Amino acid sequence: MLCESCGKNPVTTHVKTIINGELTEYSLCAECAQKLGYGNLLTGLGRNFSSLLGGFFGETEPDSTDTMRCKGCGSSFDDIARSGKVGCAECYHIFYHRLIPLIQRIHGNTKHRGKVPGGELPQPRPQSQLSLMRRELRDAIDSENFEHAAALRDRIRELEGEKANE
Amino acid sequence: MSKWYEKSGPESDTVISTRIRLARNLHELPFPVKMNKADRKKLVQGVAEATKNCTAEYDFQFVNMEDVSKVEAVSLVERHLASPEFISECDGRGMLVTEDETVSVMLNGENHLSLQTILEGLNLQRAYQTADQLDTMLEKSLHFAFDETLGYLTQNPVDLGTGMRASLMLHLPALKDGGEISRISTSLSKLGLALRGIYGSGTEPKGAIYQLSNQVTLGLSEQEAITNLESIAMQIITQERTARQTLAQSLDIQDTVSRSLAILQSARIMTNDEFMRLISNVRFGVAAGLIENVNYDVINRLIIEAQPATLMLSSGKKLTPNERHVLRAQMVHNIVKNENKADD
Repeated sequence: MLCESCGKNPVTTHVKTIINGELTEYSLCAECAQKLGYGNLLTGLGRNFSSLLGGFFGETEPDSTDTMRCKGCGSSFDDIARSGKVGCAECYHIFYHRLIPLIQRIHGNTKHRGKVPGGELPQPRPQSQLSLMRRELRDAIDSENFEHAAALRDRIRELEGEKANE
Repeated sequence: MSKWYEKSGPESDTVISTRIRLARNLHELPFPVKMNKADRKKLVQGVAEATKNCTAEYDFQFVNMEDVSKVEAVSLVERHLASPEFISECDGRGMLVTEDETVSVMLNGENHLSLQTILEGLNLQRAYQTADQLDTMLEKSLHFAFDETLGYLTQNPVDLGTGMRASLMLHLPALKDGGEISRISTSLSKLGLALRGIYGSGTEPKGAIYQLSNQVTLGLSEQEAITNLESIAMQIITQERTARQTLAQSLDIQDTVSRSLAILQSARIMTNDEFMRLISNVRFGVAAGLIENVNYDVINRLIIEAQPATLMLSSGKKLTPNERHVLRAQMVHNIVKNENKADD
């Protein structure tokens, strides 16, 4: 199928919209999607998701011996990659190390800095946050996830600096 | 009670409205992709229960998406209350909406809850405060899925972190005329923002109305994302205003603006495409000082009320496209005529 905007390139992005009172879907190539503001992987990830993950893990066939499933919702990592949708909150813990490179690529970051629910409750002390992060750093090095490890290292240094300045 | 689109706000020459959406999911239920009928029902009931705590602040009405007609559903999108994706599948979905349509919650869409506030003009701080306040009220009785590192957990990793999408509806006729939009859009994507047409197929946005929104939700706070969006918006607004000044000096453009107003005032049959083109010209004319007796709130209201499904919904009957064109022309004529009188 060819892009509905330029009519030249293959379709990569599908966009739902309303035209003249009717729900419609139109299909765009990567280049036109970019020009029209749908280009980055951050929107309508959908069908790009598995190819993106493919890019991370090499163009290998899905590992059929990989039978690990989420205890919460029964999703396998392959299910998530194919649909572009995470099954439940628990999936993020079970498949954490496999999702982190993708999250890093989408947001350029892997550490939440915004609102925390129950904001009126006491926040975890920086010390306990630090020890958690050091443990995560060890895990990241063990699993040879160096990009994530480097980000963690920098954040830990930052927090240690803040502490020293107190 | 007047709706947000019957008003105009700060920077109204370029900014039609501001919208904030917060994605939230309950910890104890699977995400929508894995939900069954019973889960969806449980979610709707849980949220209905939770909103009982905020009846003093919000006069929510519940809309069961399974019960609404196709026209009503499309009108929800035209009024910017729902996304096209949300109405493409109505099973188990619902919506809470206040009478003035400034605060709403989509239930069982892309996420369990999508909290929304929408206000006239450039109003990012106030819109965020309202959404944040509703979120804080709801979390007293709902347990939202949250992780210290990843923030609010969402069905799609693109929403992780704050789960917040802030967007501005911008009117950019001069930048569009100058062929600047795709260049701006491409450079914005590198800054984690997106600019896209709102009406029409995107390949040729109708009425030069665009949505500017943040795309990155993890790694920066809500305030940082809002400040970033606002500063980029101000740069775009400045560019648009400069380009307008040049355009407004052209006699051809002045002629187009005057003719557009005259057609809106007197046509008997009007398609949606024609309406969007003319109202955009008139909006530009008002901003450039070429038209004096039409206000932004009237224009903003017309842009929503003349959309096909919303027009049909207010008429209370199913209309053929031709009947719609006649009704649109009549409505526009009446409103613009009254506006002229009121200002005399």
